[in-house]
Amino acid sequence: MTAAGVRPPEQAAPARPAGPVLAGLRLTWLYLVSRRVPLAVGLLAGLGVLQWVALRGRWSIAGGPAAQELIQLVIETGAAAVIAVATYGPFGEQERPTGRWLPWLRLLAAVLVTAVAVGALAAGASGGHLPGGTLAMLRNVAGITGIGLLSAVAIGGAFGWTGPMAYLLITEVALNGNPTTPWIWAARTPHDLGAALCAYGVFAAGIAAITIFGARASGRLPAPG
Amino acid sequence: MTAATQVPVQPQAPRAASAAPLTVARLLRLELRHNAMPWFLPLIAALLWVDSYRPSVTQSPVWILRTYWNMGQGHTIVDFGPFVAGVAAWMGSRDGRRAMGDLVTATARPRWAAQLVTWAATAIWAVGAYLVFVGAMFAVYAHQGVQGTPPWWWVAVGAAAVAAFSAAGFAVGALFPSRFAAPLAAFGGFLAIMLSSQAGFRDTSGWALILPTNSNSNYEPASGIFYPFLPDLPIARIMFLAGLAVAALGLLGLPARAGGPRLRRSAAVITVAGVAAAGTAAGLATTARMGPHGMVIAALHDAASDQPIRYTPVCGHAAGIPVCLNPAYRRYLPDVTAALRPVLSEVAGLPGAPARAAQAAAPYTVGEGEGDMTFTLGGRPPVLRMPLGALSLPGTSAFSTSVTTAADFDGQARLLAVHAFVGAGASAGTPAQQAVQAALLRGAGLTYAAQIQALGNVGVPWLYFVNGNQPGNVPLSARGPVYAAAGRLAALPAAARHAWLTSHLAALRAGQLTLAQLP
Repeated sequence: MTAAGVRPPEQAAPARPAGPVLAGLRLTWLYLVSRRVPLAVGLLAGLGVLQWVALRGRWSIAGGPAAQELIQLVIETGAAAVIAVATYGPFGEQERPTGRWLPWLRLLAAVLVTAVAVGALAAGASGGHLPGGTLAMLRNVAGITGIGLLSAVAIGGAFGWTGPMAYLLITEVALNGNPTTPWIWAARTPHDLGAALCAYGVFAAGIAAITIFGARASGRLPAPG
Repeated sequence: MTAATQVPVQPQAPRAASAAPLTVARLLRLELRHNAMPWFLPLIAALLWVDSYRPSVTQSPVWILRTYWNMGQGHTIVDFGPFVAGVAAWMGSRDGRRAMGDLVTATARPRWAAQLVTWAATAIWAVGAYLVFVGAMFAVYAHQGVQGTPPWWWVAVGAAAVAAFSAAGFAVGALFPSRFAAPLAAFGGFLAIMLSSQAGFRDTSGWALILPTNSNSNYEPASGIFYPFLPDLPIARIMFLAGLAVAALGLLGLPARAGGPRLRRSAAVITVAGVAAAGTAAGLATTARMGPHGMVIAALHDAASDQPIRYTPVCGHAAGIPVCLNPAYRRYLPDVTAALRPVLSEVAGLPGAPARAAQAAAPYTVGEGEGDMTFTLGGRPPVLRMPLGALSLPGTSAFSTSVTTAADFDGQARLLAVHAFVGAGASAGTPAQQAVQAALLRGAGLTYAAQIQALGNVGVPWLYFVNGNQPGNVPLSARGPVYAAAGRLAALPAAARHAWLTSHLAALRAGQLTLAQLP
């Protein structure tokens, strides 16, 4: 047996070294794609449209003034859930030792998607009167996003939506009464300092946790697409 | 030649036939073991405690009132549904997310069959957990001595709703396999529940009755105490939800990759059957009419459900007159006798004064669970009939932040009793009746200010018309000709007032007296 007839493997053309900026952009883009951020942005745009339609069509829930905010709260919580699910990485532990830029990429992705969510919902608010105004929307999205990010850190990005959903259910019941705790920030006025501190505090905690620890990668759950 | 060739070939068919269900059972066991649903059951249990159980304990310890929030308005469904839809979507999207669609299509089992097994495992976990959690909640209620009959039909509706959420979520996941399928199904499900609540709270008849969170005119205090829960509407709802679930699962069998032509034809038939069942159920709901003790759907109605529940009343005395309640309301007997005592003393000896006061079933009304709270007085000897279940009872809060005090309850009961005594019926009454009512209440120890508060607390729209007020937010005041006449009558010595009432009560009840004819 000889090596005759066996073609040597084709040599790949040496790649031209990319500049640090281009390489950085490419890395960022690959990271965002691995987190399905483009799809998340599309979904957030869809939620913005839903917000616009709901306000335009004056969708509401029967009940007191606080209950009137529930539709918007569902949409804001949906946006937070999308942000949380977008933190899931398909590579798990393999990715961690190889990427020293990973924490910064996680921070960038979380802030970027949150900004897109706020922008989409603010644009959707042009459909009519937004209960509580943009300030309340910003507070609610920030707070519930913080819960979503903390959920992603605790139980994994794929199920990061469960935290915002649980918070939504608790808030929905609380809105039937007159909750006094600032932790139910959606029931407070837009200028309530305690509610703002709680919401933005949770957001800061969520951003810090996702930056430092990343979404939990479970060996039991299959990687999502 | 070997011995092997002489052994007759064993027929394989029986073994294959018995192996098929065994394989399905094995597959189901595997899916049950690897299902994501159990991981979220602790969270759902905690939410059920916070959202469904905790608010309910502010209600009277009577099944229909205690479960109004979590069964009548379907809050257990709100707590379960979105999570079940989300997790089912996750399970349904599994093959797609792993890019294993082609691989599983080539396996021995049709893909649709395998998907149905995965869904079945998810639904078994979800529905099983629903039944266990609700069963535990009911066990706690029973331990607390909650009276009456549990609303079993509404539990069945909840279980059907959970199954429907699991099927719809699974279909979303299978058709749109993505990491975002789960939150999409969960939040979509929650939004659908909220929007259906809106239709449910607003619409008191028609197709909206089919919505499982609609408590309008179908979950009121007489049920489970004086009459059995009518199963008509729950049966229609179960049919509707089962139809939706079947249609969603049938959809999964329509794509070419789901199986052979025969299987896909079966899936099409199943889908159509599901849609037809849901449509028929919605159609049945439009034929519902409100009976005195529940929603009646003629096509589903069983006359046996109209038979009253037999009971031996518990009795006390107020001003020497027996006051009898349904034993389910035994704990309120001291409150009721205390509330009625001044009124019964005030009217004692007058024509048509009650010889007995008895609790009655609150007839169903259009609206959210209130029941008709109007007291009536009639019969020989006269009996004051009190639909207490429709009133705010002492120590309960009706899901608001303020608890009904004994004074609040006294005001309501006295007002309604005197309103019945002056013959005003289901209206504010004539000005003369209003004036006599105010004077008698004043004599029974209820100041005009307390009367006005009681008028607000009772929440019967027609009572707002007293003294020319309009329903809504118009503040009531104890001024005007009605209260001036009431003041004159109340200022009379008791004997003179008694004598005047004795001679004029018949005309007053007939609506023939004017304010000017009052002393």
